[in-house]
Amino acid sequence: MFLNLIMRDIKLAFFTSTSFLITASFFLLILILIPFIFGSEIGLLKVMFQGLIWIALVLSILLTLTRIFNSDYDDGNLDIIFRSGTSLELIICAKYIAYWITICMPLIVLVPFVAQAFNYSFVQAFPIVLNLLIGSFGMVFIATCVSALTLGAKRTTFLKGIIIIPLYVPFIIFGVDASSWPILIGLSLIAFVVSIYATIYSLRLYGE
Amino acid sequence: MNLKISNNQITYIRKANLYLISLTLLTFIIGLYFSLLVSPPDYIQGDSMRIMYIHVPSAWLSLFSYTILAASCVAWFVYRNPIFNLIAKSIAPIGAALTLIALVTGSIWGKPTWGVWWVWDARLTSMLILFFLYLAYILLWQSISNQETASKISAALGIIGFINIPIIKFSVDWWNTLHQPASISKLSSPSIDINMLIPLLIMTLGYMLFLITLFLIKLRTEIIDQKILRLSIK
Repeated sequence: MFLNLIMRDIKLAFFTSTSFLITASFFLLILILIPFIFGSEIGLLKVMFQGLIWIALVLSILLTLTRIFNSDYDDGNLDIIFRSGTSLELIICAKYIAYWITICMPLIVLVPFVAQAFNYSFVQAFPIVLNLLIGSFGMVFIATCVSALTLGAKRTTFLKGIIIIPLYVPFIIFGVDASSWPILIGLSLIAFVVSIYATIYSLRLYGE
Repeated sequence: MNLKISNNQITYIRKANLYLISLTLLTFIIGLYFSLLVSPPDYIQGDSMRIMYIHVPSAWLSLFSYTILAASCVAWFVYRNPIFNLIAKSIAPIGAALTLIALVTGSIWGKPTWGVWWVWDARLTSMLILFFLYLAYILLWQSISNQETASKISAALGIIGFINIPIIKFSVDWWNTLHQPASISKLSSPSIDINMLIPLLIMTLGYMLFLITLFLIKLRTEIIDQKILRLSIK
């Protein structure tokens, strides 16, 4: 059931729609804006790239949040998944993994190659990718729990942003600094624990 | 929401409020008299530091009200009594307003002292994020139409926010030591003169009474609202 659930979400994202391509190109286009804003001076571009990939990641997550629970909740699939007898914890973990694979992984795979255009070598890009890798997990945990909390709310695109962005501040602060990946791991673990309880709690509430 | 509160108890709140309002006014008058007229001006900043008597109590109490908010959310999880959610809901806008007052007065104070309206100081930034945590709580409650669900969901968000406050404080402090020159931090713990401390404490008491008064008015309205809602559902 666990694997089936992951495979189902991945298939939905990769095959039945072009949404995977859309998020990747959205992410790229935000990064393409950097030289237009700051000019093509190499030193400045390098600094800006390091920061703005995080903004691009946050925006990509915010814009695809409805995919975690909302579409399943609206067409009743979520109820069927609940009734399947699998424990809620496993279902939520499957959701984390599927969401991370469909949204964050393509972007993180893209980053080392895009970084070439901003004068990074692969070795230099490695710490950035490592931080993105760890930080994006924490961000997905928080995104999932906020998405579950706002399931019953109306017109939530901006509401989710207002709830999520203050919670992302620590991730951004430590994510931008290359040497603080151990703190990022800690933050992601805290986010995991909090998120799984909050998600179970709100799914039970809305599932009643 | 099944509130076990009789109409008599609500009337008590209203009666207590009459006394509280007059007490608040009295404390504010005494406090403002002491802070604006009696207390000495600062020998560097002159009279502009008198805004401290407005700024510091609101900053203290904005943190205090978030603690109350989170504590009542936790209390709801323990006792499952809906009144705790109403307490959290009633204190949220007051806390947000206090945070806003602290931010605005701080920035007005900053202009003559630092020469700029805003610096990216650790405490200022944390307060700004605290304001958005309040805002998220209020907005989440408002955007869910079913009151019962809204109260339970917001309680979870209140606790998540409270877990995050120390993390945000820690990370912002850490970020600040990287980016901020230490020019402002010497203001952070000045030894305060007793002549300034007394008006400050009176003003804090005034703010506290003000917070309690507003809170009770809001709580009473919320309870009556829920009772009306229950009646109209039946």
